[in-house]
Amino acid sequence: MSVIEMKLEREVAAETIKIQARKVQVHYGTNHALKDVDVDILSKNVTAFIGPSGCGKSTFLRCLNRMNDTVASAKVSGSILLDGADIYDPRVDPVQLRAKVGMVFQKPNPFPKSIYDNVAYGPKIHGLTRSKAELDEVVESCLRKAALWNEVKDRLQSPGTGLSGGQQQRLCIARAIATSPEVLLMDEPCSALDPIATAQVEELIDELRSQFSVVIVTHSMQQAARVSQRTAFFHLGHLVEYGETGTIFTNPKDPRTESYITGRIG
Amino acid sequence: MNTERHIASAFDRDLEGIQALVVKMGGLVEAALADAATALETRDEAMAERVRAQDGAIDALEVQVNDECLRLIATRAPAATDLRVVLTVMKIAASLERCGDYAKNLAKRSLVLNQMHVVEGATASIRRMARQVGLLLKDALDSFIHRDVELAASVRQQDRDVDHMYTALFREFLTHMMEDPRNITACMHLHFIAKNIERVGDHATTIAEQVIFLATGQMPSEPRPKADSVNMGKD
Ligand SMILES: Nc1ncnc2c1ncn2[C@@H]1O[C@H](COP(=O)(O)OP(=O)(O)O)[C@@H](O)[C@H]1O
Ligand SMILES: [Mg+2]
Repeated sequence: MSVIEMKLEREVAAETIKIQARKVQVHYGTNHALKDVDVDILSKNVTAFIGPSGCGKSTFLRCLNRMNDTVASAKVSGSILLDGADIYDPRVDPVQLRAKVGMVFQKPNPFPKSIYDNVAYGPKIHGLTRSKAELDEVVESCLRKAALWNEVKDRLQSPGTGLSGGQQQRLCIARAIATSPEVLLMDEPCSALDPIATAQVEELIDELRSQFSVVIVTHSMQQAARVSQRTAFFHLGHLVEYGETGTIFTNPKDPRTESYITGRIG
Repeated sequence: MNTERHIASAFDRDLEGIQALVVKMGGLVEAALADAATALETRDEAMAERVRAQDGAIDALEVQVNDECLRLIATRAPAATDLRVVLTVMKIAASLERCGDYAKNLAKRSLVLNQMHVVEGATASIRRMARQVGLLLKDALDSFIHRDVELAASVRQQDRDVDHMYTALFREFLTHMMEDPRNITACMHLHFIAKNIERVGDHATTIAEQVIFLATGQMPSEPRPKADSVNMGKD
């Protein structure tokens, strides 16, 4: 295969739809938090969600792995297909779903266990490994993918909570990818990190893209512009504009997007 | 155009500042061009010297525009229209700096031409052409100030007239040179002057195209209308 053919193949592959959301609505009691959101999340792409606080980014992110099921007041409607299959189908087990659609939160939240056990936890409960040796392998490979291995390989049995903030966040990413998810959701994963740790996580996100679809909520416009290929702008519960990141940041179509990214509306 | 204010008002002040600088540059360049052409026609050496001396101010403004644009990019990370404003301002400043050089060159050549005998009608024609190009430059800058895409498009159209004026002058100079070889040196200088003024028209067009990019996010698609150019001396 020629270089050009390989490139074309990659481009076609990059356009595969991983998650298709249609007419997604979320109510928290009487609060209509998300209104008719339609979006196609592409596989092996980083998609950034941006928008002012309270516009519904986290709410929508939580719809994608049914984390809203755990919020009593939340009512979700519309359809969300993962590889064409409805994730809200009653036969879908939310726990299995969350192994496929992993999540990393704003504040690093390692379990109060060893570094090793933090990563081994998912594969163990989902029965993904058959032997200790196999589990060791998974832990090492996930810590390597999360760019943390070299920093922790000599102290795998020390508590995860003893790591620095940036290291803890990378540990949480290692934990999230240990169940071999296909989609990784990240809700402001760098907001508690210093610039160096942020750069390390961004570098990692770019590497993860070769294997996963990554969806990241971020308050930093620069971060969205740096790490994502696609950007969605939310405002007051609406998805206002969704498109190629370069276009969104240089020539957005909707005046609300323009106002937000240029620092004119909060 | 986005007329809302930034949440950080200093950002608005920075953006307005760099735009005010290029508008100021534009005023100086328009004046330099008009004065240089008048100095040529009226053989006013003092005026020509003033034009030469004032080019430094135009150059200094371009340096200042670049400095402030760099600082703005580094500190504010402008996006969308704001980013296009910064890019456009830098390109317009570069065009204006070149136009200033052409005006200065005209002034220098006028001092040389003052030592030679008059080529009938030539300097008046050049001053008319300089006036026409000055108006073009003014329209281009006005289109920038008002984000007026129609005016910018008309600059692209009007530049044809300048091209025609240049072609006509070129023929006129050829005729003078063929009539009397003693005109050759003066006509060579006059021709360089006409060519440079024609180049100022091209820069006005470039500025107008930048304005279209600034306002629409896209460079004008259809190629610029180009008047039939000089037949390289053949007819
Ligand atoms: N667990 C919840 N219970 C009730 N209301 C919520 C809950 N989470 C979010 N909301 C409301 O939904 C809206 C969207 O919030 P959220 O999705 O967190 O926005 P964002 O992530 O864009 O800041 C807000 O009005 C918020 O108050
Ligand atoms: Mg949120």
